[in-house]
Amino acid sequence: MFEPKIIAFLCTWCSYTGADLAGTSRKSSPWNIRAIRTPCSGRVAPELIIKAFSEGADGVLVLGCHIGECHYDSGNHRTAKRIPLLSSLLTITGLEPERLRLDWVSASEGVRFSQIAQEFTETVRELGPCKWNAPDLFFATQPEIVEATETKVEVGS
Amino acid sequence: MITKKIQEYASSLLADQVVDCVIGYEVGPRRTTRPIFVDQQADTDRLVWNQNCSHNLTVYLRQKLNDTEGRIGIVVKPCDSKTINVLGAENRIDRDRLHIIGIECEGILEGNVKQNADSGELQRRCLACDLTEPLDMDYMIGGSIERKNLPDNSTSNKLSRWLEKATADDRLEYWLSEFDRCIRCYACRQACPLCDCPTCLFEREDSIWTGSSATTKDNRSFHLGRAFHLAGRCIGCGECQRACPMDINLGELNRVLAREMEEQFHHRAGYTVELSPITTILGEGR
Amino acid sequence: MDFISKKSLESWLASVAETKKLYAPVYTDGVLLYQQPNEIEDIVWDFSRPVQSAKEIIFPQSEKMLTIEKNGQNIQIIENLNNDISVIFGVRSCDARGCLVLDKLLVEAEPVDHYYKTRRENTALVGLACEEMGDTCFCTSVGGGPDNSEGLDVMLHRHQDGYLVEIVSSAGEELFNGIEFDRQDIAFNERRFEPEFVLPSQDLLKSSFDSEIWRSESERCLSCRICAYVCPTCRCFDVRDEPGASNNGTEIVERIRGWDSCSGEAYRRIAGGHNPREAKADRLRNRIYCKLHYTQEQSGMMACTGCGRCIDSCPVNIDITEIIGLILEGEPG
Repeated sequence: MFEPKIIAFLCTWCSYTGADLAGTSRKSSPWNIRAIRTPCSGRVAPELIIKAFSEGADGVLVLGCHIGECHYDSGNHRTAKRIPLLSSLLTITGLEPERLRLDWVSASEGVRFSQIAQEFTETVRELGPCKWNAPDLFFATQPEIVEATETKVEVGS
Repeated sequence: MITKKIQEYASSLLADQVVDCVIGYEVGPRRTTRPIFVDQQADTDRLVWNQNCSHNLTVYLRQKLNDTEGRIGIVVKPCDSKTINVLGAENRIDRDRLHIIGIECEGILEGNVKQNADSGELQRRCLACDLTEPLDMDYMIGGSIERKNLPDNSTSNKLSRWLEKATADDRLEYWLSEFDRCIRCYACRQACPLCDCPTCLFEREDSIWTGSSATTKDNRSFHLGRAFHLAGRCIGCGECQRACPMDINLGELNRVLAREMEEQFHHRAGYTVELSPITTILGEGR
Repeated sequence: MDFISKKSLESWLASVAETKKLYAPVYTDGVLLYQQPNEIEDIVWDFSRPVQSAKEIIFPQSEKMLTIEKNGQNIQIIENLNNDISVIFGVRSCDARGCLVLDKLLVEAEPVDHYYKTRRENTALVGLACEEMGDTCFCTSVGGGPDNSEGLDVMLHRHQDGYLVEIVSSAGEELFNGIEFDRQDIAFNERRFEPEFVLPSQDLLKSSFDSEIWRSESERCLSCRICAYVCPTCRCFDVRDEPGASNNGTEIVERIRGWDSCSGEAYRRIAGGHNPREAKADRLRNRIYCKLHYTQEQSGMMACTGCGRCIDSCPVNIDITEIIGLILEGEPG
């Protein structure tokens, strides 16, 4: 079975704690989720999401506090605007929109975290491996950086 | 006719010392239309207006305002005036130090302006343009033409429609082949009047966002990131694409984002002196 | 000279592509570049010049120099030297001269650029003589010519429905070894091209250093890097260490060098934020002087080959020939 690599950006105030709660209350979450703790979902710059896909993620999950509950008052407002916009940009350049998901999980919603994590993993699993980072699928020859290993120098031991 | 009026008006501005310098267009020795900076009355006869005046001159404003004490006169097409609105909203320029000479515009011709080989067809942005005069100006030249919304049969439009319907794989393949050509000369960024961070995020020494090498992957991160930074700000002057030596379809990224901004936030960049909604908090009803 | 038909040349190219990396002018999405053609039929024979010069292949935009792998205490440094044997077909005379300039500066002068040298030695240049000068070309004014075979291994001159083969170097001889020519010993009439303009003397260039033209001509410069990146002799580069994705606990850092350009704003910025070449005028002057003066003084070769790419590609029409004209106008007496 295909096991997708999923990067989850979790806001430290709500969603990260929510994920913790899921663990302590023995709710299972798929191991495909690699959590990255961020100060706020507003800190998740679009470049980071592009970077995650470019480094081989099959899906990116962004979780933040519910609107109105942001620790920094309006950080999640920005996320709420950015992600749909980024999604449309990535869609037109060839990414399936389902691979990027934004949702809200508060610190007390361990069950919700586990549910979203499972749902998202299944969605991405069905989509299969992400081609975003696999130009080789299209280009037989990559003209830029050419691999050629010549001399190996050992340093240290 | 417009040329003559620009020359006369620029001359009077310089004579009365209203402005230190007028930024306009001239025709170079190779018959190529290009920007010119006129600071002496004697040179005002070099100023021209024609349908190859594609450059968005507002790109020079920031530097020029820094270099001089006085006011700057600038020849502005209707579409370019949107840039001034965005720059004004972001407090990047002091509107009071500008003297805007608005020009009526019948549309700019398609074709490689660099080689002055126009095809006789209007640019795509001009076909859909709804402005006959600038949104903000101090003096208007012309202004009697009527603007018709023309049918858009450009190849660029056909491509956009194909992209909309294409499968994810086709889109990916198309864009990878576009970004593959990029040589990272950063002409798109330099030609953009709204892309003026002191140090570009993608070129910082400690940049972790994207690699500096011209690989397809890094090029894509750069272009998508750059397009996103212009979301709700890009006014669609198309300078990025015109400057690109590799003819990468950069305008398409901006058009997609502009369309989304309109659909999601009812925002059209530059029509009012207003910040991009992406930098503000959620409004009522959203 | 020996004559070869276009058909025979095509089958020769196909045989070259079997054993070596063949680069030739090919259109991709309407942009003409030196690339590896998928089919021999894709090769473009009638063109003025590709957007990028042949430099792109022997001195690529970005090149991985080293890979550093760190696994716990164990650090390995792997050098990435490119040993591909390549042939570039359809090289223009101006690009070949460009390679000679690069050789002078990167191979013949110390320190030797190992990466460039290896590629250069493994790359053969097969030229196609231009039949006429392009609108922005001025190779004849800087000492070259549209059918000048200097720097190439083989030069092909158009003759009726085929080409006359001018073997220039031993590497070129090797390439055509065992090829049957369709006809032999055809007289070749070298054409004479007159220079379009006279270049300013080195003394005049020296005395133009403080001229007003640098400010006035550079004012519309956008500080992009197109002119340097399309130039067949621009060779400045920047080296960066970039972390790659780690692989099963092995940390990977790559040392990458990529082109850089003196027209970029940050090119000369130094620690503390000071920038001795902050003004656009200083940057434009540096570029023009590098082409016409500095390299000439250092290596005896003009670093401008007159290909005219910078003129064609500049989004705001900064024109080196116009600047040369202005320098000449400023000549005293």
